[in-house]
Order: sequence, then structure tokens, then C-alpha cells
Amino acid sequence: MNERVSMLQATDIHKSFGAHHVLKGVSLSVGKGEVVTLIGASGSGKSTFLRCLNLLETPQSGRLQVGAHAFDFAAKRPPGDAALAQLRRDIGMVFQHFNLFPHMTVLQNVLEAPLQVKGMARAEAGDLARDLLAKVGLADKVDAYPSRLSGGQKQRVAIARALAMKPDVMLFDEVTSALDPELVGEVLSVIKTLAADGMTMVLVTHEMGFAAEVSDRVGFMLEGAMAEIGPPAEIIRKPRNERLKAFLERFHRHTV
Amino acid sequence: MSYAWDFGALAPYAGLIAQGLLVTLAFTVATVLAGLAIGLVAGIVRTNAPRWINVPVVAYIELFRCTPLLVQLVWMYYALPVLVGLAMSPNMACFLALALYAGSFYAEIFRGGIEAVDRGQWEAGMAVGMRRGKIFRRIVLPQAVRVMIPSFINQTVLQLKNTSLVSTIAVGDLLYQGSVITAALYRPLEVYSVVAILYFVVLYPLTVAAQHVERRLGVHR
Repeated sequence: MNERVSMLQATDIHKSFGAHHVLKGVSLSVGKGEVVTLIGASGSGKSTFLRCLNLLETPQSGRLQVGAHAFDFAAKRPPGDAALAQLRRDIGMVFQHFNLFPHMTVLQNVLEAPLQVKGMARAEAGDLARDLLAKVGLADKVDAYPSRLSGGQKQRVAIARALAMKPDVMLFDEVTSALDPELVGEVLSVIKTLAADGMTMVLVTHEMGFAAEVSDRVGFMLEGAMAEIGPPAEIIRKPRNERLKAFLERFHRHTV
Repeated sequence: MSYAWDFGALAPYAGLIAQGLLVTLAFTVATVLAGLAIGLVAGIVRTNAPRWINVPVVAYIELFRCTPLLVQLVWMYYALPVLVGLAMSPNMACFLALALYAGSFYAEIFRGGIEAVDRGQWEAGMAVGMRRGKIFRRIVLPQAVRVMIPSFINQTVLQLKNTSLVSTIAVGDLLYQGSVITAALYRPLEVYSVVAILYFVVLYPLTVAAQHVERRLGVHR
């Protein structure tokens, strides 16, 4: 992956909530078109780290560079609303609990950001939104409200909504954890398509088989640090780190 | 025990009653609109503002929620002019008291509605690059308003009834005209029955319409 152009670089990220030191100097560099998956026990800081990448959480110290956006958190003043919005235009995020806008139809959910943030023309945004909804297999649901959709359908709308901003990087925060087991597949297959299209992605997931299949690299987080990172063949199939082995074994026992 | 009802005696005063009803409605509409504006601003401050502005706003809200409206009216009319040294018309005093009173209650309704919207909605807006003001206007407020509607209707019905207090400082609303007619006719039973019926006739359809709106908006929750 050294030959890739760097797309995202987080360096020595520290984050505390009160006295609780959640991230103890985590670094990650993601190349253009690379898929990196973060695994680890709950409380290991993987979701918090992911949320630091689009600054839904502001680190106490460290540096973040995404494309042309650069932040140094050692500076006293936290980044302002405008700078945050600029960064997030270029980073899509999909959440565990979908967070669709319930008062808008599926189409309006996808149109909202291109129209309101980019000021795209309505016709152009409409074409884009319909294309994306077709791509995630929901062309027939454009006029439905989110309350009428299954969890899997909601999550696919959420992916289309994030893609509508044509982001450089996509972040996925345990996007299948709230789904019924039979609906997980339809969401994972959409993510696989994105990976095949060359989208740069960082995922947090508990789907180990999926992580092994789709990732270029897998990072194992432990107690607020990046304990191991490497190709899935090393991390998931032939783990050497004892804590990682224990984590994966426990995992296999609980989920068949 | 046989009282001879005579509603016909009121006929010559129909114009006066209509005039009173108009004053009541005008005060209601004006003070609800002003109260909503005050309440929206105060409600936003309550949910998200630095301490130096939050403290005076809380003081305003609690002051007006925890004193009787009648006392506020009388105070605005008699005491405030002495304090600030400028004369206040009865209409102006009534408008101020009713608007500030309504604003204090609407503020808490707005705050409750805004806080009822899931944090994830803010995050979803932020994640696509929307600024805070835009997220509030386009994502959070429309959902908050749906949650607020029952409390809002409730407060507005109370507000219309509360306007009857303006009659105590001789503003010619429906109740005041009722008392004027009573003094002339000596038929309080007929007069106050008509007054009560008119309040009901205005408010009942409002509550029915409100329920209808609530049902329609609730569909996509």
C-alpha cells in the first residue's frame, strides 16, 4: 500500500471523555482506494477513533489530514463550524442507527445535502439521487418515508445519502449491528460494490468474515491503541498477538 | 324557581358583542404570534447557549411562569409606567403582559421539542457537511414542531381564554363588553351565557382542527 497516494492521515490522536482516556495516541494512514477495517472489543476506542476522522469527536491532541483539509489539535482553539462543515463535505459517514431524516421521503433524504450544502441544481441533484438509489437497489422506494422501510433498506438509503456528496472517503460505524441477521447481507453487498469501485473506506465492524474479504488492511484496537495492523491474512486468519487471538476466538464462539 | 330567559333583549347589543369578540381574537392572534417569536428565541437559548445569556433568559421564563397573569397585567399597567417614566396605554400593557406570558410557556415547549429530537439527527446533518443553523432549521426544528403540537395547541387555547383578563383594566374584549351590557340590561344570566358560548364556539373547532393536523403530521414519525 506504500505505492498508493495518501488520502487520510491521522497522527497520534488522543481523546478523553472527562477522566476517561479513550484514545491513547492512535495513528492511521489510508491510501486512495484502500479499505481499512477496525476491529476490537467494545470499549477499545474503535468507534471513537472513527468519529475523530470526520471530527464528530474533537481530539485533545494529534493531527488529521484528509485531502486538502489539515487540522492540528494541539492548537488551543477547536476548529470552527465552517471548517468542520468543509471537511465533512468530503467524508461520508454511515451510522449504526441509520439516522435518516424521518420527516423526509427517501429521495428528499438523498437530495438534502447536494441541494443545501453544495447548492446543486435541482434537476441535476434529482438525477444523481435516483442513480444512487438505483445503485443500492431502492429505485422503487424513492417516495417512501423511512418509517415504511426495513432496517436493511434504511441503511442502504443512508449509504446513498452519504454518497450523494461524492465524498473522497466513506466511514462506516458498525452499520450492520442494528440489523436483523437476514438483512445484513444486502447492506454488506452494497459496501462490497463500493470497494470494487475503488472507494476509500474505513469501517468498524464485527463481521469478521466480511472484514477479511473486503479489507486491504485490518487494524486491531486494544485499550485505546492500534495494537496490530496489517493484511487480513495476517490479522484475522493467522493472528500472532495473544490478545487478538483471544478476541477472535471469543468472537467465533459467540457468533457462528 | 322560574326564571324568564330573554335572549331577545340582547339583540340591540349584537354589534357590541361582535366588537368584543374581535378584540379578543385580535389580542389572541397578536400575542400568540409575538409569544411564539419570543418562545422560539428563548427556547433555543435554553437548549444551547453560554451561561451569560442563559441565566437572564431562565430568569425571564420563571418570572412569567410563576406569577399570575392578572398580577402581571396590573403590574404592567400601573407599576411599569412609574418605573420607566412613560405612560402605557391599556392595550399596550395588555399586549406586553400577554405576549411575555405566552412566550415564557412557549419557550419551555420549544425547548422540550428540540431536546426530544435524537442527537443522531444532528450528527447525520453534520456528517453531510451541513452547518449548525441549517441543521436546526431543516432537520431538527421540523421534527421538534411535530412533537410540540399538542402542548402548543393546549397553550394557545389557554391563551385565548386568558385574554379575558384584559377586561380588568378596561380593554374592550368580549368579557368586558359582556359586563357593560349586563350593567345596562340587568340580565347577567343571558349575557354571560352568550359570552361563554362564543368562547366555546371559537375554541372547540380550533381543538378539532388541531387534532386533525396532529394526526396528519404524526403519520411519518
